[in-house]
Amino acid sequence: MHNLKALKAGEQMRILQNSGEPIYQQIAEQFRTDILAGRYKQGEYLPSIRGLARELKISVITTMKAYEQLEAEGLVTAAQGKGFYVNAQDSEMLREQHLRKVEDALTEAMAAAEIAGMSDRELMDTLKALMDIRKNE
Amino acid sequence: MESNYVIEAYDIRKKYKGFALDIPELKIPKGFATALIGENGAGKTTLLNILSGILLQYQGEIKYFDRYTDRDRESIPDVKELMGYTASGSYYLAQWRLKEVEEISKVLFSGFHEEHFEQWCRNLEVGAEGWDPKQKVGSLSDGNRMKLMIAGVLARDTKLLLMDEPASPLDPVMRDRLCEIIREYLTEEEGQRSVFFSTHNVADMENVTDYAIIMEHGRIVEQGFVEDLKEKYVLVKGDAADAVRVQDKLFTCSSGRYGFEGVALAENLERLAGCDVSMERPSLTQISVAVMKHFSRMAKG
Repeated sequence: MHNLKALKAGEQMRILQNSGEPIYQQIAEQFRTDILAGRYKQGEYLPSIRGLARELKISVITTMKAYEQLEAEGLVTAAQGKGFYVNAQDSEMLREQHLRKVEDALTEAMAAAEIAGMSDRELMDTLKALMDIRKNE
Repeated sequence: MESNYVIEAYDIRKKYKGFALDIPELKIPKGFATALIGENGAGKTTLLNILSGILLQYQGEIKYFDRYTDRDRESIPDVKELMGYTASGSYYLAQWRLKEVEEISKVLFSGFHEEHFEQWCRNLEVGAEGWDPKQKVGSLSDGNRMKLMIAGVLARDTKLLLMDEPASPLDPVMRDRLCEIIREYLTEEEGQRSVFFSTHNVADMENVTDYAIIMEHGRIVEQGFVEDLKEKYVLVKGDAADAVRVQDKLFTCSSGRYGFEGVALAENLERLAGCDVSMERPSLTQISVAVMKHFSRMAKG
């Protein structure tokens, strides 16, 4: 059956039991990243709930909760008796999601800079320097 | 619409001297692994024996697979064919040889496949050679007897497994394998198969438990999908100085010189305002212990 496939070959899913982050959120986050990066195509089914639970050695309800969260975010749709398939990613929303990621990462960098006692100027310079390095690569 | 429950039971009552099982309603979700958690003497085995048809004297009604009553269970062979039961002791007689266990199982259940049985015995390493038809049940250790019963139910085409303390006699590696077996069982027919097992080793079975039913003194005191329970309860830790102030606001609390730790109902968290507490998502073990402590304290008054 098409919806009973396991994780794709080469696909990575690393679950930390004691990281403090609920396991369902870790799973949702990894699929979210994969979907937004286009590694799952529109209409493609996610691994079956019980198949994924088995591979990750976690309970069925935990994978189910992860999928329900993705559904609530509009990334996937539940098909009765068939599992969850990936929705068309509307480019506006995709951009929005990516923007949020950028903001989160920058916010984190700002917090770290504050702890390190960096000035705003220094932080900007660091970002600029990193961008220059990347351009030259 | 198709029912979401593999077993529904109503007004189940059973009295022994000094013990009464009293369960107004029990619903075991279909397609999941459900754990029956409770202290020794909470009534787990009694409940499992009633559901599996070992114990026939009880009050109440049971519905299986959304179709069959408990009277059907005794009169229509299909019902027991669909169910596999493992006991906490051994239901195979000590003098039986493994070959006899196989032959008797074949007579009892038309869905019993001897090749599967022998495969599972080898796979689980039931005896010294994995499978030795001449070996006697009595010569097996408790752990191997449990594995033999597990092989016996896995050798059949069932839709529901009822297991009484399956993890107890098993070593840590085998407990891990048991969790794997339960997941494999549930995966094979996505959503059509269910497992109901009792345990007091909640930690060992936590990663395979979808729905938890916690019993105390013959009653169900808490139940729910594990992910929901983990949101209903919160693990809180705080300074020793606040311990007295928070004590009666927590579900359970233990305090010591270095601080207090307890479990609170998430809906009551605002009552802790003003205390410096850190919060964590509890494990099923922590929830179970808190619930059991809370209700056994209540019972003692």
